[in-house]
Amino acid sequence: MPADWTEVPKWLVPRPTPEDREFWEGARRGELRIQRCTTCGRHQHYARMLCSHCGARTLEWVTAGGLGTVYSFTVIRQNGVPPFNERLPFVVATVDLDEDGARMIAAMPKVTPESVHIGQRVRADFRPAGDDLGFVDFVPAD
Amino acid sequence: MESTSVGGSSFEFHTMHAYRAIQHGDVDTVAIIYGSNQLSASGRTLGTGGGGGGRGGMAMPLPMAYEFPTGLTLVGAYAMAAQRHMHTYGTTSEQLASIAVQTREHATRNPNAMYRDPITVDDVLSSKLVADPLHKLDCCVISDGGCCIILTTEERARALAHAPVFVRGAAGASTHHSITAMADMTRTAAAVSGPKAFADAGITAGDVDMFAMYDSFTYTVLVVLEDLGFAPKGDGGAFVTDGGGNLRLGGALPTNTDGGGLSCTHPGMRGLFLLCEATRQLRGEAGESQVEGAEIAVAHGSGGWLSTQGTVVLGREPV
Repeated sequence: MPADWTEVPKWLVPRPTPEDREFWEGARRGELRIQRCTTCGRHQHYARMLCSHCGARTLEWVTAGGLGTVYSFTVIRQNGVPPFNERLPFVVATVDLDEDGARMIAAMPKVTPESVHIGQRVRADFRPAGDDLGFVDFVPAD
Repeated sequence: MESTSVGGSSFEFHTMHAYRAIQHGDVDTVAIIYGSNQLSASGRTLGTGGGGGGRGGMAMPLPMAYEFPTGLTLVGAYAMAAQRHMHTYGTTSEQLASIAVQTREHATRNPNAMYRDPITVDDVLSSKLVADPLHKLDCCVISDGGCCIILTTEERARALAHAPVFVRGAAGASTHHSITAMADMTRTAAAVSGPKAFADAGITAGDVDMFAMYDSFTYTVLVVLEDLGFAPKGDGGAFVTDGGGNLRLGGALPTNTDGGGLSCTHPGMRGLFLLCEATRQLRGEAGESQVEGAEIAVAHGSGGWLSTQGTVVLGREPV
């Protein structure tokens, strides 16, 4: 039975900056917001002031489709920080979004370690991090 | 003063900068020092305390603000890289474990090593998984420790009591900060720093008699062996185990002859110990662990989340 991930102790509440508030608030609304560069057409996560692919300043916010592919993953079996020490073991994955250039590291709290593999299709799953902010997790796409 | 801080590879960068400053005539003599009471002060939580990006209530720089809430640990970041290498190239847990086993064999000969009892591949694989696929014995120890190296001009060094060891070349490179931004988890910036340092030193990988490598994890050794050209990309696992173990004394590339971070000492950052062990070997002061006739040694530091790589080539003779 996967552990309860609804609790958000205050040290895990995100502290948005002017540059990345859009991501955290979008996640609360159930939208995966990422940056797209209008110069090179590629995407990036997390928010930056410049495009990490071509260096241009021409970034706009777009809503990603939420689908991606597991590039790699691990099963965390040791973590001394509460509340993670009560959630062991759990999966953390690196996910390449279908939007070219955007990669995320995210928890997969709802899956068992045995059910995850590289190349797996996954979709974003949203979890409140406070009244106005949210986290983005991933679950199997099918 | 020089305080470049790029994790465990900082000391290879310090050495590079000191080497250039002495060559340029800016300074005569440089001491590079390090000490840490990591074990006494913090216990054995390094790497599983939560991403390494910050503690509760502390503002976290991007992108740690994104990784920390996922529960990812420092070990977990390296584990994801190892998992990707296994997927892409068929590298096995047994091959990674062999690195820990061969390193422990070196430690059995070092009275200063923290762990000296021989271990087997089965011991590694049956030790607790910390973050799949990395087991406890795939991870470096947590210890206290410190050391110092002194660099000076060739003229001054030749006048001193100890046989001098020469920096022949050095280079550093970086590809990312947090693991989120590591485009290819199976290739590090050592693929840039290595060739530059080797060219600087006038050597090729085949000339290296002894390797001092920052073994934060077994995977760190494997991927950098490939990136420095000791093995083709993807063949690091086979290189490690071939001929009964190429990292052992008598192997093609005796590696971490003091027992490394995996068995000897790791007080949080290991980069300076690498330079010390390489120097001991080139001076012929390594006792039972001596690599006979060692002329060229490479010390290679890896810092952050496989982020920053520094390569220093040392020799018994200058370039």
